[in-house]
Amino acid sequence: MWKEYLSDYLKHNRFSALSVRIAAFISALLLSLLCSLFYNAWKYEVERIELEEGGWHSRILGELSEKDLETVQNFANVEDVRRIETGSQGAQPGADIYFSDKRAVFTDMPHIAEQLGISQERVVYHYELLALYLIRDSRDSAPRLLFPLFLLITLGASLSLIVMLYNSFTVSMNARIYQFGIFSSVGATPRQIRACLLQEAAVLCVGPLLAGTLLGIAGSAGLLHLTNSLPGSAVPGRHSAVFGYHPLILLLTALVTVLTVWISAWLPARRLSKLTPLEAIKNTEGWQLKRKGRSPLLSLLFGVEGELAGNGLKAQRKALRTASFSFLFSFLAFALMECVFSLSQISTRETYFERYQDAWDIMVTLKDTGADQFEEAALIRGLDGVESAIVYQKAAAKRILTEKEISEELKSSGGLGQAPAEDVARVDEGFLVNAPLVILDDDSFLAFCEQIGTAPQLEGAVILNQIRDVKNPDFRHPVFMPYLKIPDTGENRVSVLRQAGRKDAAAEIPVLSYTRETPVLREEYAKLDYYELVHFIPLSLWEKIKDRIGGAEADSYLCIRAGENVTLEELNVLEDKIASLIGAQYSIEQENRIQEYQTNNTQIQGMTALLGGFCVLLAIIGVGSLFSHTFGFVRQRRREFARYLSAGMTPKELGKMFCTEALVTAGRPILISLPIAAAAVGVMLKASYLEAAAFLKEAPLPAIFLFMLAIFASVALAYSLAWRQVRRIPLAQVLKDDTLL
Amino acid sequence: MEILRCEGVRKVYGSGSSQVTALDGIDLSVNRGEFVAILGASGSGKSTLLHILGSVDRPTAGRVLIDGTDLSRLNQTQAAIFRRRKVGLVYQFYNLIPTLTVRKNILLPLALDRKKPNPEYFEKIVSSLGISDKLEALPNQLSGGQQQRAAIARALLYRPALLLADEPTGNLDRKNSKEVIDMLQLSHRNLEQTVLLITHDEKAAMAAERIITLEDGRIIRDERRR
Ligand SMILES: Nc1ncnc2c1ncn2[C@@H]1O[C@H](COP(=O)(O)OP(=O)(O)O)[C@@H](O)[C@H]1O
Ligand SMILES: [Mg+2]
Repeated sequence: MWKEYLSDYLKHNRFSALSVRIAAFISALLLSLLCSLFYNAWKYEVERIELEEGGWHSRILGELSEKDLETVQNFANVEDVRRIETGSQGAQPGADIYFSDKRAVFTDMPHIAEQLGISQERVVYHYELLALYLIRDSRDSAPRLLFPLFLLITLGASLSLIVMLYNSFTVSMNARIYQFGIFSSVGATPRQIRACLLQEAAVLCVGPLLAGTLLGIAGSAGLLHLTNSLPGSAVPGRHSAVFGYHPLILLLTALVTVLTVWISAWLPARRLSKLTPLEAIKNTEGWQLKRKGRSPLLSLLFGVEGELAGNGLKAQRKALRTASFSFLFSFLAFALMECVFSLSQISTRETYFERYQDAWDIMVTLKDTGADQFEEAALIRGLDGVESAIVYQKAAAKRILTEKEISEELKSSGGLGQAPAEDVARVDEGFLVNAPLVILDDDSFLAFCEQIGTAPQLEGAVILNQIRDVKNPDFRHPVFMPYLKIPDTGENRVSVLRQAGRKDAAAEIPVLSYTRETPVLREEYAKLDYYELVHFIPLSLWEKIKDRIGGAEADSYLCIRAGENVTLEELNVLEDKIASLIGAQYSIEQENRIQEYQTNNTQIQGMTALLGGFCVLLAIIGVGSLFSHTFGFVRQRRREFARYLSAGMTPKELGKMFCTEALVTAGRPILISLPIAAAAVGVMLKASYLEAAAFLKEAPLPAIFLFMLAIFASVALAYSLAWRQVRRIPLAQVLKDDTLL
Repeated sequence: MEILRCEGVRKVYGSGSSQVTALDGIDLSVNRGEFVAILGASGSGKSTLLHILGSVDRPTAGRVLIDGTDLSRLNQTQAAIFRRRKVGLVYQFYNLIPTLTVRKNILLPLALDRKKPNPEYFEKIVSSLGISDKLEALPNQLSGGQQQRAAIARALLYRPALLLADEPTGNLDRKNSKEVIDMLQLSHRNLEQTVLLITHDEKAAMAAERIITLEDGRIIRDERRR
């Protein structure tokens, strides 16, 4: 009986069924996409860990004999034991153990250790990898976020989809509330009615769910392909993701989607089934406007049609809520995201690329090499296209400053007493501040001396005598003042540097000059610790004191300038030359300013595209619920419009009313989000000390405008499709239907 | 034999100042096989009474017994099954499911019980109601009178203890009204069906053997004719 009722009903109500179908399709698409992407993220993580750290489950550290290995291998659950290859640096001796049942690793390993007679401390577990298989141990305190994150996102998506589906189901079910009144009055129990509605939901949704799931899988494969082909993703050392799928994920997807759909159908079905026939029959128009509020603005703008449209919208407010919210959020998110990215792009360009534009063209990092060990500086300088090359290394040191040494300007703006304790420590003599050393090769140091107008010599340090006015928070336009009083007698011009944490490890070096200029390097000084006192010293001086104060960083740098108007190709050629010159002796890493700038831009573009895609998905939920709503509403609207028509309204006026509704539906979320986005951008501009004009020049207005247009277009499409349905109905038929209801 | 019994049935809608007493102490007894008309002006409480008798609504106070069942003790599911098997309801509107054929509409209560109809009885009912040739049509292809007769057929199919009809002719013209009333009379005579006809039309009420007049929720007259 229900089967016949259902098939009859579906035959006669394609449109309200369509709305449910669209909603179900979108839900399945989204959830399937989510699950599939999650699986691939998981797979990528597993592959990355196996690649970087190996796929072992547990590891025994220390020396092991062949016999030990054999003992381990003979454990039933042990699949494989392999010695750790000790060829590469940093590797300790030991053995990697692979289990056939990973779950037993935490119970089996203690036994194995016992059998071998070794202490449990020598056993380590691969928590990161095991966590990906949901094998956790209380000893692993690190947060493993992949699964919780997935759960959270899926839950959020499910909930918002439930809201959308719930709306479509409610519209479709409420349209027949009087029919269920009849069923109930001839004796259908609430349970039977519920069963009928749920069966109907199942019949309606099977096809769309299948299609959506498949398309979601295909979509995630496409998305993966896209991320791989994004130029920004070609970061060295990143392995590219290969799309994969697993039957379990299909099961999970099916479970989540079916649950989502079922909850959305069950809620309105339960409400409907609980109505008494009397309530059901009297309640044929669930969408009636409770007479309150008017739409003065709409009636002012569009006359009577505007007023009617306003009433119509108010009556549908609840049903349109999902659409409104997803439009609002997606548009807001999109606009904000576009603004944030273009802000950060402008910001990095101004604070990084433009500031250091003339400081470097190629940076070579000399891994595990002291500046004193590098002997090819002259060779590099001799290369074609190299204008200048500075070899430098950084070292950490401390220096005590007394109250007397500090400049009047610094004193009057608060002095060192106000500095945070982790930057400046108070000691008996005064203050212990950080005094980072920048060690330049001798030639470059002499050139620096000349640059600042001091007699070039190698017997002392040049102090960067400036400190930021901490009272001025504008980091983009910092105000500096002198750090130290410049002593006039030569005797006082010494600096006692000491090793961090040790009083006895100290070296006294003469100060050649106090300056506010810096050598041309890609370095920022006093960035995190405003109170550091930077010393530039020549390499030959460093060689004399390094044993006393130490603290040098492991790597050195080679900062190369190639002159103005250099091109990317020229820099690439130069990089190759440098690599062939010193690449064999030293372990080097090269960066190149133009390449980095381009990579940075493509990375931002990639992020924008990815997050933009997310916003589009959000908007699709809005469009989907709007479509499902307008289609589901055709029935009600037909009657409403027939009444207007019979009261003498022309179809043209009716169309105008419809247009007004569409305009408001699409326009309101945009009108609401634009000022919010503008205000948020204002705050961000203020916080980042960017000038509004500079931002506006590059503001992502076209993209935002396009998104806005897309929302308008889809709303227009939904309404025009619904309008065609509404308009086609003969008046007499509808009015007759009306009495039948 | 008594098939319906009301004791002090009261129904009050709303609360406070907007309170309406639709039924005010109804005592009523109907025997098996009786044809009773309940007559009253609009707003006198007729429909309220019918809904209570049909277990669609509950009285505020008082007791209703139909065929030995105390309606106030039924939960929602039991009330639905009671409606299905014990009473046939015919309303002015809202009678047929528009997307189901007339045949399926008539078989609805049986289908809800997953039962097959007795073909002879089905034949007898539809032919005596004159809708044999309309069984495969959809409700909106029928005239109002035919629709109402299909509704009566459905109400009779389960041989209910009580056929309740709420102004079944309210929406029909004179000719169709007469036909529908005749059908009720016919079923009463041929099937010994207990019928409770609710109407504000005195002429229609004349078809019944007993006329109960309601006014402001009270029985003011209860007369047997013939
Ligand atoms: N759901 C309701 N809420 C409030 N008052 C109601 C409701 N249903 C009926 N009434 C009131 O109860 C009285 C009786 O109504 P009803 O039984 O429908 O009368 P009748 O069918 O005789 O025209 C009327 O005054 C009506 O306004
Ligand atoms: Mg009435």
